[in-house]
Amino acid sequence: MYQNKHSIFLIILLGFIIHKYYCKEQTYEHKPNKPLRFHVAEFNFDHVSDVYAITLWILLGSLAKIGFHLSHRLTEKFPESCLLIILGLIVGGLLYVTHLTEQKAYVLNSDTFFLFLLPPIILEAGYFMPNRPFFDNLGTILLLAIVNTLFNTICIGLTLWGFQFTPLYGGTQFEMLPCLVFAALISAVDPVAVLATFSEIHVNDMLYIVVFGESLLNDAVSVVLYRMFASFANIGQPNIIVMDIVLGCLSFFVVALGGVLIGIIFGVIGCFTTKFTEHTPVLEPLIVLVYAYLAYLTSEMVSVSGILAITFCGMVMKQYVSFNISKKSDATTEYVLKMLSSIMETIIFMFMGLSTVSDSHSWNTGFVFMTILLCLVFRVIGIAIFANIANCWRLLELTRIDMLIMSYGGLRGAIAFALALVLDEAKIARKKEFVTATIAVVFFTVFIQGITIGPLVKLLNVRRKQIEEPTMSAKLTNRMMDHVMTCLEEISGSGGSNSLRDRVRNLDRNYFKRWLLREPPDRKDIKLLQTFKKINTLTAMRVHDTARGLVPSASTATVQQGIPEHHHLRSHSAYGNVSELIAANLPENTVPDLMSYENHEGEHHHNDAEMHHFLDTNLYSARPRAAIHLRNQDETGSSDDGTHARFEKSYHHRDQRYLPTRLERELPHGPKTISKTIHNANRPIGLTNSSPKHTRSPPTTHQQPNPRSRSRSIAAHQHSPIPSGQRTKSISKDSRISPLASTHIENEGTGRTAAERSRPWRHLSITEETGASSSKTANIPLANGNDPNLHHIPLTVADFGGTYTKSPEYMGEYATTTKPEEPSSRPDVRDIFNKQSEDVSEQQDDGSTESITRL
Amino acid sequence: MGSNASIMLQQEDLQNICQQTGFTAKQVQRLYSRFKTLDKRDCGFLTREDLLCIPEVNINPLGERLIDVIMDDYGENNKINFKQFIFLLAKFRRGRVKSSTTEFNTRDSKLRFLFDMYDRNHDMKIDREELLQVLKMMVGGNIHDDQIATIADHTIGELDSDGDKSITFEEFCKTLERIDADDKMSMKFLS
Repeated sequence: MYQNKHSIFLIILLGFIIHKYYCKEQTYEHKPNKPLRFHVAEFNFDHVSDVYAITLWILLGSLAKIGFHLSHRLTEKFPESCLLIILGLIVGGLLYVTHLTEQKAYVLNSDTFFLFLLPPIILEAGYFMPNRPFFDNLGTILLLAIVNTLFNTICIGLTLWGFQFTPLYGGTQFEMLPCLVFAALISAVDPVAVLATFSEIHVNDMLYIVVFGESLLNDAVSVVLYRMFASFANIGQPNIIVMDIVLGCLSFFVVALGGVLIGIIFGVIGCFTTKFTEHTPVLEPLIVLVYAYLAYLTSEMVSVSGILAITFCGMVMKQYVSFNISKKSDATTEYVLKMLSSIMETIIFMFMGLSTVSDSHSWNTGFVFMTILLCLVFRVIGIAIFANIANCWRLLELTRIDMLIMSYGGLRGAIAFALALVLDEAKIARKKEFVTATIAVVFFTVFIQGITIGPLVKLLNVRRKQIEEPTMSAKLTNRMMDHVMTCLEEISGSGGSNSLRDRVRNLDRNYFKRWLLREPPDRKDIKLLQTFKKINTLTAMRVHDTARGLVPSASTATVQQGIPEHHHLRSHSAYGNVSELIAANLPENTVPDLMSYENHEGEHHHNDAEMHHFLDTNLYSARPRAAIHLRNQDETGSSDDGTHARFEKSYHHRDQRYLPTRLERELPHGPKTISKTIHNANRPIGLTNSSPKHTRSPPTTHQQPNPRSRSRSIAAHQHSPIPSGQRTKSISKDSRISPLASTHIENEGTGRTAAERSRPWRHLSITEETGASSSKTANIPLANGNDPNLHHIPLTVADFGGTYTKSPEYMGEYATTTKPEEPSSRPDVRDIFNKQSEDVSEQQDDGSTESITRL
Repeated sequence: MGSNASIMLQQEDLQNICQQTGFTAKQVQRLYSRFKTLDKRDCGFLTREDLLCIPEVNINPLGERLIDVIMDDYGENNKINFKQFIFLLAKFRRGRVKSSTTEFNTRDSKLRFLFDMYDRNHDMKIDREELLQVLKMMVGGNIHDDQIATIADHTIGELDSDGDKSITFEEFCKTLERIDADDKMSMKFLS
């Protein structure tokens, strides 16, 4: 009863409170006549509608893109841009039917376009501009961008205007100045369309950069011409004096050079800022983006060419920023740029389709037809004239086919469309015709030319872009060629592009690099060294990709020897060799070239040590990085850890970002198989050797007591150790025999035989091995107890795949051998973990603890 | 100077040279005047010092090596006369069409020149020492010898397919397959 009383009081109190708050609500709402109740949730679309629409657009664009790429048949035949426009048309149709088009967020307006959609695309283009081809072809590009655009504008404008005296337009009158305005916007090649199309057809760098460079740099011209003619139209034809035209020409230089200048200034400031971001690395990508955007906005503000500004800003930043910022930031920047530009491009094309469906059209067959025709004709004529002029000074001449592709690649796109949309209907009476014609031209170029340019390139056998891996020798020789040609040009007194480049390079090295880089380069050729590092990292990644289990055992061997040895840093030649071998034997699908690898490895100890040392001192050592796979490395001492951490980090990157396509993954059978065999062969040693006291455990399982010859021991029955001076020779010699040997070893794990009994640790590998290589049918007993490598079973890809799936477990297993025994080195590794808070590292940790409990 | 030079160059020599090298007469004359400019003592040949006087060559990391090649392989006794000079430069003339390629400016001869930049003892192999020398010149002095050695080993490893720890001309050409060496090793001669 007492309790009841209490509860009644409580209820009353609660009711009172609710009532009170209710009243408050009512006063807030100012709706006294309607009894209000508290709403658990409210529907408030207006509050978010605009952003919601934009986000939905982005989502739709992404989904569309994903969808298109799921169907290979579709993307093979049609460029993405076409599909997106079609999608836009469909959505536009739907919106038009439902009368949603009146809402602003759903149509392309030129402010959105120029302020948000365009800059990321251009920035990306500038940031990833292949500098050398660009500057090598700068003369041609400028000629085409400036003179050719001018030529096109004038010719198209005047011809279009001229045709109004014929009955072609059906009596519609077009004045001269509006025609020129229209010509100015329609004759400029569009960078977005060119990018979208040319990125899919992979023509050679030179051709690409000439067309794309033209499309970027002609912005200045088209902006000036457009603005000039538009303001002339405002002034009125009779009132124009010569001064206006002179000022118009002058403004070209202001617009072009001003844009470039603003871009460079902001780029330099951006680089300078990244000099000091050592402690705030998360902001580094943002700085790049913000400065570039600021450059764009600033130049738009002072009405110079924003496209030029942001292009050059990106180009300048790319040169120096990547030296300053951390590797992660660098990757992030690139990724974000790619992401942004890709989504913006998608949205632009979708919006184009969408905005097509509207009432503001006025179809004039004659005018549209003439515009398309004239655009084509004058493009061809212009290219023919100016490419031939350019050939007078070009070293590498443009061929007829080049010219054809150049003229065919002159695509028009969204910029023209956006410019057409902002035309002032009060001044330019025929705006609707112009908009319609622009859309027609854009659709024509994107659809007809965009679809046919790919087959055309194939048909004409245009030199394609060659994707080459960076090799040290190529880089070296390339650089040597530059030097030699510079000297020879000076000697012959014909001061060509090489000596000019050399001067720029000197300037860059002596001043800009010194001012803008955190660590001023003290070497003569920083790029050469960088290439070397890059190659090494790539090699490392590949090794890791193919052999995750390799790392720990390798370094355990290192402990034994007291030499820091790294399998990742192995020279490239091992791979070249293996892949050659694999290529030769591919039909059989069975050639793990263990011998060459092993021998190589054996004789590489010193080499690797040196390389390791080199990397240790020369790799960018901004700060310690998270050590993700750091397990056995703990033992090798502190100096070792840093490098390893770096490599592990890049592996980690690779795992997440650079996951190759299936085909690529399966292609290099050699390294993969080898790594597995090595892995099998090495792991036992790794296990036995990682004893708590770091002492070298007696090599009970091998005849050779010297651990240095461990790697060779498997092959020992066939080959005596080869002096290190001949390591490379040994590869080719071994390559014939090695397939057999390696297959043996591969099977070694599966055979539960004498070897197992004599090596208790092998048990572990067997359990996993049998699971992994499910395709293997038989466990064949070993004929030779000493040497368990005598079985010939062809390996299949599935076998190797097994290693992949198993590898985390392997890692865990390794962890068990070392982790509990390393209390001293563990903490600082953990510190690093904490600092970087990588979820993967945690995951790895989990894995290791798991395996500890398991064992 | 141009008119002067053309007088000093015999007409038949000129034609001969043009025919052999594929240069136009104007280009040859221009090169001749350049030769004369470099030949400060007016003795009809260029010496090592003459070439080193060109500032760009002087500061170029490979300048001296290039002059070595020029003097040893194309001139004699550390001198190079005009004929040798122009045959040297003929290597780097760009063959526009097939008909204008002479025996000098084939891709092969360009690559050979490049190869000679490494191979100073003319054993038709680039060995480790030679590569080291070039690397040192190009990378500069501040880097440790070990590091250079590592790079050299790496480079040899990349190229070396027969395992003799040196690079033969064929191996050398193989890496350059992908590079447009022909274009890069060409220059524009003013006419």
